[in-house]
Amino acid sequence: MRRFTWRLLAVVAVVAMVGAACGEEGTAPGGGELDSVTVQLKWVTQAQFAGYYAALDQGYYEDEGLDVTILPGGPDITPAQVVAGGQAEFGLDWLPSVLAQRDAGVDLVDIAQVFTRPGITEIAWKDTGINSFDDMAGKRVGVWCCGNQFPIFAALTKEGIDPNDPSEVQIVDQPFDMNLFLNREVDAASAMTYNELAQVLETENPDTGQLYQLSDLNVIKLSEVGTGTLEDLVFVGGDWIADEANQDIARRFLKATFQGWVYCRDNFEGCLDIVLANGPILGEGHMRWQLNEINALIWPNTLGIGVMDPEQFQITADISLDYGVIANPASEDAYRTDLAAAAVQELEAEGVDVNGAGYQKENVEVTPGGE
Amino acid sequence: MSLQPVVFPGRLHRAGRRVRDWGPAAAVLVGGIVAWQGLVTALDIQRFLLPKPTEILSALRENWSFLRGAGLYTFWEAVGGFVIGGAVAIATALSLARWRPLGRALLPYAIAANAVPIIAFAPIFNNWFGLINPVSKMAIAAVLVFFPVMINMLRGLTSVHPSSIELMSSYAAGEAATFRRVRIPNSLPFLFSGLKVASVLAMIGAVVSQYFGGLRSTSLGLFIKDRAALALYAEAWAAIVVASTLGVGFYLAITLVERSVLRWHPSMRGVRAE
Repeated sequence: MRRFTWRLLAVVAVVAMVGAACGEEGTAPGGGELDSVTVQLKWVTQAQFAGYYAALDQGYYEDEGLDVTILPGGPDITPAQVVAGGQAEFGLDWLPSVLAQRDAGVDLVDIAQVFTRPGITEIAWKDTGINSFDDMAGKRVGVWCCGNQFPIFAALTKEGIDPNDPSEVQIVDQPFDMNLFLNREVDAASAMTYNELAQVLETENPDTGQLYQLSDLNVIKLSEVGTGTLEDLVFVGGDWIADEANQDIARRFLKATFQGWVYCRDNFEGCLDIVLANGPILGEGHMRWQLNEINALIWPNTLGIGVMDPEQFQITADISLDYGVIANPASEDAYRTDLAAAAVQELEAEGVDVNGAGYQKENVEVTPGGE
Repeated sequence: MSLQPVVFPGRLHRAGRRVRDWGPAAAVLVGGIVAWQGLVTALDIQRFLLPKPTEILSALRENWSFLRGAGLYTFWEAVGGFVIGGAVAIATALSLARWRPLGRALLPYAIAANAVPIIAFAPIFNNWFGLINPVSKMAIAAVLVFFPVMINMLRGLTSVHPSSIELMSSYAAGEAATFRRVRIPNSLPFLFSGLKVASVLAMIGAVVSQYFGGLRSTSLGLFIKDRAALALYAEAWAAIVVASTLGVGFYLAITLVERSVLRWHPSMRGVRAE
């Protein structure tokens, strides 16, 4: 009996030691403790978030004294809810969604506008004769739910088509694959330049035995229609960022993140490998296409990566108000540029090119099935 | 004229019984809503966590034309699935009861199939039947409806008092007559228990399968998902209220049918086990 007690004590002691070792806070190279923070991505692991994965992989976060956990998103994850619920400090979403959340009383602040060009398009088969939103009256038009439908709704409204009136246009909520479009169950479908457009082009056309070509499609870019709104941005909770210590964490997070994006601009293949190592669902060919398109949404950036252009903010805010995304005009408190600007300044002082003025898009070929 | 005093107390009596029957439930409903409103106001709960009933009511009013249209369409999908799933379930139960070896061979698989999370089939059914085709939503509702109806009906068909069967065989009655006169009447109360459970499941199946896409103007489920994602919870709750009301209505409709069909049954004649 006594021996048993001793054995038990020994086991407890070992377990306790292992537990303590595991629970130990990581330490920064300088010896200080790392601040643990979590970022909630807008979507599943893919090149759209290459900068965050690169910053983690290249140790930029650690250099800034941060222990960063990256949470992949998905169809049933609303980053705003994750951040408002305190399960993540940073969230990624599109500006109209953040404005809608704010309008509903959720206090969120855009601290870095990473993408400055919208990547959303509405595509139609060329043979349908749909060349513009005007042609979509009475047609079946695919949109995504949960906030991603607004640029399309704004474009339809601009043409005098009420997206909420099924007698004027049939709005179909499309799933996150392009089968609906490929099966021609809808006449037009939403597609990001960096994702769904490539998914269509990676599919074999049963009539020709070849992949579908861009010439088979009408790609209507929302940025050209004038209802393109600002997309991927970093937001935080208003309460959280009111704290000065958290502002410091946020600045360091942005600095490392921006450096990750710079890495992905200057080291295309290296960045691609990092994304692939994190296990995206779609294949290498697709990720290569995506990274190239994503870089083009960020670079070049005259203000420095992540710094909101007030004019661009106002355009998105006006569209959101005009087309019913929000009921009240968006206030300027919806974003702040000081943290991103400070991060950009620090990087510039270290000799990092934060503008990418000479950025050139790579030439990426579509691969069958995105393999 | 002289009859009136006789009729009147009877009516009063009946009305009194109604109040006694429904009063407590109604009081809980009203009390619950008042407490909800009061607590949300008193505790200053954030609008995006739990909206007040009055906010839900005004969201209901503002979105009424959409909610009515989408609600009826969703209800129609639920009823379609209910009819398909119920009919297949009844036919299956009859065959399994008639040919017992078949039952022994197939029942384990029916039970196993029931253990599959059926909502997981929604994207697959959308692919099979088309996202915009209401059949894809009905199919989910039908699969949900199938099992409770089939298993209850089968139980009703087989749990017959042995003496009834003996009586039938002493009359030299065939299988068909035994089914018609003993097994099927015996199964009806079981069948209706199954149908009542299934009516609610059909509504759940229709709403949840809409989460996976479809026409926006006809989908309560999409509306709930979309509004919840945008923190417009009062609107999401308004759609939930519509879906629940339709579900309860469906259940009550089945109960009414049950009452008229099973008027002969002891449980329906007000005979109480006292």
